[in-house]
Amino acid sequence: MIGLYRRVWSEKNVIARRQYWGLIFVLPCVIFFAVFFLYPLVTGFYLSLTKYTLLRPPVFIGFDNYANLLKDRLFLKSISVTLGFVVGSTAPTVIMSLFVALLFYQKFPGREGLKLIFFSPLLPSVAVVSVIWVVLLHPSGILTNVVRPLTGKAEITWIHDITLSPIVIVLARIWSAMPFYMLIWLAGLTAIPQELRDAARVDGANRIQSFWRVELPLLRPTAVFVMAVSTISAFQGFALQYVIAPNQGGPVDVNTTLGIVIWKYGFQFFRMGDAAAVSVFLFVCIMVVTGTQIALGRSDRYSIN
Amino acid sequence: MARSLTPYESDAAFETRLRKRISKLILFSTAALVALLFGFPMYFMAVSAFKAEAEILSTPFNWLPQEFVGFAHYESAFERAPIGQWYFNSVFIAAVQVTAAIFFGAMAGYGFAKFHFRGKRILFALILSIMAVPFQILLIPLYVEIRQFGWHNSYAGLIVPGLLSAFAVFMMRQFALSIPDELLDSARIDGASEFRIFVYIAMPLLAPASASLAIILFLGSWNNFLWPLVVAQDRNLWTLPVGMTVFSQPYRGEPSVGPSMAVSTLATLPVALLFIFFQRYFIEGMMVSGIKG
Repeated sequence: MIGLYRRVWSEKNVIARRQYWGLIFVLPCVIFFAVFFLYPLVTGFYLSLTKYTLLRPPVFIGFDNYANLLKDRLFLKSISVTLGFVVGSTAPTVIMSLFVALLFYQKFPGREGLKLIFFSPLLPSVAVVSVIWVVLLHPSGILTNVVRPLTGKAEITWIHDITLSPIVIVLARIWSAMPFYMLIWLAGLTAIPQELRDAARVDGANRIQSFWRVELPLLRPTAVFVMAVSTISAFQGFALQYVIAPNQGGPVDVNTTLGIVIWKYGFQFFRMGDAAAVSVFLFVCIMVVTGTQIALGRSDRYSIN
Repeated sequence: MARSLTPYESDAAFETRLRKRISKLILFSTAALVALLFGFPMYFMAVSAFKAEAEILSTPFNWLPQEFVGFAHYESAFERAPIGQWYFNSVFIAAVQVTAAIFFGAMAGYGFAKFHFRGKRILFALILSIMAVPFQILLIPLYVEIRQFGWHNSYAGLIVPGLLSAFAVFMMRQFALSIPDELLDSARIDGASEFRIFVYIAMPLLAPASASLAIILFLGSWNNFLWPLVVAQDRNLWTLPVGMTVFSQPYRGEPSVGPSMAVSTLATLPVALLFIFFQRYFIEGMMVSGIKG
């Protein structure tokens, strides 16, 4: 009996069995990602080297699509639009969400309730956010009336104005993104051991000194994470520009982000090759941000160990 | 708390106490202002759905409807568009995708956490790297692929690419690491097959641990906009996020702000309920996934 047990459960046998079953458990997931991630990722690069309109098979044309993009007015415009959206929304979001986190880190009566109200933009999807903002931005709507004492105007065409519409879309984005980043900042603040603050206090540091010298340096990983994630997600700006801006990315292309260009080329003009080339460009942009994030010291929360 | 209650307090102590209270008051009013600013659009959405069309945009803003229209805007929204169908599509797609991602994610996570096989590290690293690639990059080639399968404009096309997420595998592996090996080994000694062990021992331990994961997967599916937008051409295949954008345009020359706010409220309601009842998991899930980023 013991001999049989030894034979079946010998170390080697167990490991061999495990090897086999581990692979079986992992297999569906590996196949799935091979088919719906790796394959499209590779064909994406290939398609960017072809002329493809969905009607006839793709024709290989080398780097022509990329060469054409360099002269493409809409694409070049979309780079500056995307950068404007990235900078315009990321910088205020990151800084303001830190301030709000610091505010809600303090103790005061009614804090929890107010925090919940502040979190409410976490709930709507980006489509809902867009639809709500379309109404808030009605020419004679709420926002017009809020700024009326300053402007004196009874009607402002927010979303049809080439200067104002990128600004109000950034505003909608800041509104919907802030609570998330505030959560991250707040978690970062909470993770700082109280002893460090106390030690700084004992050494005679006031609140502000303690923030600059103790808390902010310790928040560095959080700061890197918040900046990278918000930059990456702003680079992918699409739905707000698609729904809020007139004619998907208008007026006159002032809200045509790279995401809108990919959609337009792919699903309005059926120029799949060009759309794929823009995707590759966007991919490179985002990888640069990700690389910077890693270089600046990313927390290793996604490592295998 | 008034001064008269503490008659033996020194002036200095009174002053610090006063200063503290003033600072709390300042903190409270600042926080209240911030909360008002960020909460207002959501309140605006919910309350406007019950206001008469002309009153929604009227000045000054009425905090409560002057002329309460009941569910008239909801009714007219349902008359105008197949909202019921869109709602069903969104629920159906989310249900299938969340269930599949939990099951296959648990399976893969369990495999990565509890077994040792050649190439495990590299495979897991590859799956993690998927999370760094945004969906927009895949949009065009994935659409082309789905078309080749003949799945465009179908439920299969809407659902299948979202059946699993790398994030689910990552989270499930984290959870599975905490399953004690002794538990699995004792089942092995009892003669249970590895698959039985997964279904009857690992799954029941992993499922409750994945509440926050399930919420995140649900949000990802429920809020998805870009993919259903390009895959579903047929109006009856649209999901709520895609369909509702129709309401931001006037309908037959008439403004449709009320119905658009009604649909927005309907689309946000399930998420709001999740937030209210599972607040901890909701916030936890958002933080680890970065979904809203």
